[in-house]
Amino acid sequence: MQRIVVDAMGGDHAPEEIVKGAAEASLALSDAEIILVGDASAIGAILPRLRHDGARVRVHHATQVVEMDEKPTEALAAKPDASILIAAQLVAAGEGDALVSAGNTGASVLACARTWKLIPGVRRAALASVYPTELRRGDKNDPFSLILDVGATIDASADDLVTFAIMGAAYAGLISRNRRPRVALLSNGTEAGKGPAAVVAAHQILLEATELNFIGNVEGLDIPRGVADVIVCNGFVGNVVLKMLEGVSETVVRLARYAHKEKLAWRLGLLALSSALTQLKAVTDWQQYGGAPLLGFEHPFIKAHGRSNAHALTNAIKVAAKASSGDLCGHIARGLTELSARRTSVAT
Amino acid sequence: MKPAPRHVFRWDLDKTYLRTEFDSFGDLLRSAIESAADKKAYPGATGLLRTLSTTDGYRVCIVSGSPTQMRTVLAAKLALDGVAYDEFVLKNNLKNILRGRFRSLRAQVPYKLPALLSSRVGSPPAPAETLFGDDAEADAIIYCLYADILAGRVPPSELVRILESGRAYPDEIEHTLALAAQLPAADVARRIIIHLDRRSPTMPFRRFGPRLVPVYNYFQAALVLYSDGVLDARQVMFIAFEMLDSGQYQLATLANSLQDLMRRNRLPGAIVLRLADEVRAQATGEVLASRPHIPPFETVARAFADRVRELRGAIPLAWPTEVEPLDYVSLVDQEHLARRDKKRSAARR
Repeated sequence: MQRIVVDAMGGDHAPEEIVKGAAEASLALSDAEIILVGDASAIGAILPRLRHDGARVRVHHATQVVEMDEKPTEALAAKPDASILIAAQLVAAGEGDALVSAGNTGASVLACARTWKLIPGVRRAALASVYPTELRRGDKNDPFSLILDVGATIDASADDLVTFAIMGAAYAGLISRNRRPRVALLSNGTEAGKGPAAVVAAHQILLEATELNFIGNVEGLDIPRGVADVIVCNGFVGNVVLKMLEGVSETVVRLARYAHKEKLAWRLGLLALSSALTQLKAVTDWQQYGGAPLLGFEHPFIKAHGRSNAHALTNAIKVAAKASSGDLCGHIARGLTELSARRTSVAT
Repeated sequence: MKPAPRHVFRWDLDKTYLRTEFDSFGDLLRSAIESAADKKAYPGATGLLRTLSTTDGYRVCIVSGSPTQMRTVLAAKLALDGVAYDEFVLKNNLKNILRGRFRSLRAQVPYKLPALLSSRVGSPPAPAETLFGDDAEADAIIYCLYADILAGRVPPSELVRILESGRAYPDEIEHTLALAAQLPAADVARRIIIHLDRRSPTMPFRRFGPRLVPVYNYFQAALVLYSDGVLDARQVMFIAFEMLDSGQYQLATLANSLQDLMRRNRLPGAIVLRLADEVRAQATGEVLASRPHIPPFETVARAFADRVRELRGAIPLAWPTEVEPLDYVSLVDQEHLARRDKKRSAARR
């Protein structure tokens, strides 16, 4: 049975939507236990209003909450009984197999870093995110590509980037059921020699010392095209790229709203396209995906969007259960062991 | 006449003891032609019924809405499960069809209420009763109504209105009133256990007061009965182990079930800790400890106590402590409308 620990108090709509999502997951997952961490009285008042399986939901009381706008280091220092910290500690103590939170990203990552061990061979963890693309991938026909790191490791070395590639490929293989995910480095040109020293060196290692389906470097414009399934970069670049992509999407929506108001002909045009747009929204809805994984620790952590509703949370729990049952961390560890052996043999 | 039992347990069968699907015509047909061996009981239900039926002074009465034509197969199923019973009442739907009483085929209140009253009238009066049903709304309403009639809280004029709103025929109303009149007022139906077959939210059951406890499984039912002093710790563990044997439950899910009742204010933490102590005390005894897939008693006791500690004294949900008068006429009307809407939406699908 997979034991998924959920920070019930994290997120813009916590605890109501988080508890709803957990309740739904208790019915949808036949072999999982959902451990809700947070204000037991508040959770206990929400659960009886929902359809759920009382045998699969467990509540662990925590008295404090890290708010979305708090500074992670200070918040965790001031709040030792914060739900996210207690949740991470439960997983570290072997009471749970994976963690899900829609709360403060920095505090969630920090709580994991303080209580969990890194997988042997991993120097820095990576936060991954998904982005909808034109091309689809894997047995699931997944419309999302994976970008990592998007903020956990601001300055990554060549070895870190290679580790990220192995972690991203393992995740895509398991969650998107993509047996040979195309892995690429994000750079300012497709040529092997383009980019900063760490990217150039990582390119060399990925080619020579791994059996990944490494397709070389890709540029920013290749991300929405879906040229690669796993895009690797350092946390600084990844975060800038992600925010820019989000900004472009929001601007497109705003322009469409403007067009809708401005001219009847444009309004009719949008109306004609509405079913296609709805279809597109359904296909690329981030709520379907659940959340972004924090990779590199000995336990899976799925960071759900702060705005997550119950549906998104259910999906995040499903992803966490899949990562746990599929031994994602074991896959990553084996990939890193193989890399180490290969690099040793190349060196000798 | 036999000596009066100490406690009577009244059980429904479908969705309470037996895992039965009624949602489509195909489900109904399948259920009708299924052999006794194919019928499945919920994990722990057999253990609980067996425990109750073998305890001195306990009487088990089964009142089911299944047609009398199914008596042979249902009796065979209970025999296969080793469940003994003192009374087994089924619905004579063939008689209803022959008399052209099609309304009676589906009506719940005009069938089940007199069946319960008749059982009470026809046997030595017990000082306590516990009723088991499922989360189709009708069971909760009928059992509460039965409990209130026994307690003398439902005057005949109100009973007439309730039965009319339950679509009873005039002779059924007359018969039910006559049965109710034979019973001296006694507040004996103190516990109603509703099996949440559909995993319904528990909050709507709050209106039925403290005597009704919705349960997700039969370990929870056993815990409630332990809290009521009806079962002892050894009997609770017997039911828990049957559920573990089924492979559908693990120690963690049993412990979660226990915590769920605590959060809903239906089981005090002190009772759970007492149970944990009693389970721990059995660790040196011979009871069932030889089954290798069953966790050691010490582990079981620790898991139970841990679930209490994890709540760290958080205030449980407020639940009514007194039985408040219920507006049965509107409850029966609502139930009828809900059932009709469900039928219509199923037909549309």
